[in-house]
Amino acid sequence: MSPWELAKCRRVLTAVLAITACVGLARDARAHPHVWATVRSEIILDANRQITGVRHAWTFDEMYSAMAVQGLDTNGDGVFSAEELKPLTEVNIKSLKEFDYFTFVHIGDADNLPLKPPENSSLDYDKSVLTLHFTLPLETPVNAHGQEVQVDVYDPSFFVAFGFATEAPVKLSGPAIKGCAAEIEKPDPDSEEDAKALSESFFSQLGPNSSFGSQFAQTVMVKCGDAPS
Amino acid sequence: MRAGIGRALIALIGALMLVVLAAGAQAEMKPINPLAAEGAAPPSAFAAPSTAQQSPGAFGGIFGWVLRTQQSLQRDLTTGVKSLKAGNAVGGDVMLAVFSFIYGVVHAVGPGHGKTIISSYVVANEETVRRGVIISFIAAGLQALSAIALVGILAFALNGSGLQINAWSNQLEMVSYALIALVGLWLLTTQLIRLYRRGRESRAAEAHETGHHHHHDHHAHTHHDHAEGEACNHMVDARELAGPFDWRKILAVVFSVGIRPCTGAILVLVFALTQGVFWAGVAATFAMALGTAITVAALATLALGSRELALKLGGRSGAFADGVWMICALGGSALIFLFGATLFAASLGPARPF
Repeated sequence: MSPWELAKCRRVLTAVLAITACVGLARDARAHPHVWATVRSEIILDANRQITGVRHAWTFDEMYSAMAVQGLDTNGDGVFSAEELKPLTEVNIKSLKEFDYFTFVHIGDADNLPLKPPENSSLDYDKSVLTLHFTLPLETPVNAHGQEVQVDVYDPSFFVAFGFATEAPVKLSGPAIKGCAAEIEKPDPDSEEDAKALSESFFSQLGPNSSFGSQFAQTVMVKCGDAPS
Repeated sequence: MRAGIGRALIALIGALMLVVLAAGAQAEMKPINPLAAEGAAPPSAFAAPSTAQQSPGAFGGIFGWVLRTQQSLQRDLTTGVKSLKAGNAVGGDVMLAVFSFIYGVVHAVGPGHGKTIISSYVVANEETVRRGVIISFIAAGLQALSAIALVGILAFALNGSGLQINAWSNQLEMVSYALIALVGLWLLTTQLIRLYRRGRESRAAEAHETGHHHHHDHHAHTHHDHAEGEACNHMVDARELAGPFDWRKILAVVFSVGIRPCTGAILVLVFALTQGVFWAGVAATFAMALGTAITVAALATLALGSRELALKLGGRSGAFADGVWMICALGGSALIFLFGATLFAASLGPARPF
């Protein structure tokens, strides 16, 4: 190696070291949740055992709940009535649209199925926690017979940490749910794929389009077997 | 000097590890924690029966652990505020202060607490560990004051809604990011101007020198192959690029980072307010800021340590040191600009529902 090449090598090494020193620190800028939402979901099936939609009940943590209802007890009776919470419900539902309702319905690796605007939305405040209820209809019902339909609930930017409830996290409803099952799959953030996603999440995680939170997706698998005769 | 940096570094990292470990142990031992049990004693004051608890297995792995710790800390804060409300002054005080502090330390690892900006700044400039620590503490203190002012004025004085607090907090955040980008741009510009001037001066000096001694080989002027250690004495000391100590620069960095209120602090403040113990929220916010400051200061110190290490690895090579200084000065400033600009662009996105 000529002295010139040696000098070049050292320069490259310098660059690598200095960049590690200067930039390496930025990597720990990971998203972290401020709001915790406990999820209970109802998968709605029609008589033909097609999934027509999902009805969510998201219960927020006490601290966020207090923050959300602050100043909304307009008549000062110490109770947050449905009437008083209505404006908040509207704002929540309206702004959820930009975030795809944090709900992603798909089959396998196919694209997410389009959802219609929420119906029957309401908020209730039970002593200390706020729960948001709403139904998300699928634009076109999807057949759950013979194929697994996956419903993911997560906030891609991970500001909200969604987690299924310990008890009764998911149930099926409809006239023909016999032979159908909804099971919860646990996320595995330590898998290789997710580790890769982590290292790629430096700048990408900051925007609203980031998918950092997808590794913490809460997943329901819905599948129907042959109809019982 | 170097020994001083090393010692400070070890002390800070040690303190940080201890606190994180304590947080972990606290989370693990929760069922037998007497304070937590005490706080949970009155069932009516605790979670409503309908409160759905997230299943512990909802998040797995190492990140899951970090998350669970954060979640349990947030719950502990809730319990702390409540036990104060229940009149348990001493226990509640201590509990709230301790948990707020730990929450601050853990929380600051997430984005928005200025650690990237402050670390980049100290590396890009000729700052000492002591000043890095001071900067971190002032920035964290400002963030606390910003949150207290926001909640104090909007919620406490004007009885504004949570949505209003959110909107204001988002505005402040946006302004903060824009200012960070501007500060980065300013630092980068001054450094580039300095680089350009030095380049011209050194070229002038070189021309002068060669003009006197090397008339004969003026055209075979591809030198740069002199022995290591000799360095190019006609080249600038790149350290000067980083620029001397300047209070204006520090104030600009501290202010741009500090006006953004910490979301965690806002949540605690509003919760304390709704429980009728606003002052406890204020105290918790300062305890939290102390924790945040320690994490940020530790990271800034680590950044400075890395720079020192890089300089040391170069041995006596002046060119190597120059390279390190140049990359740190320009790279650090560029990073501040990029970070601010990216965050600002992201903050222009749609309003969050929660």
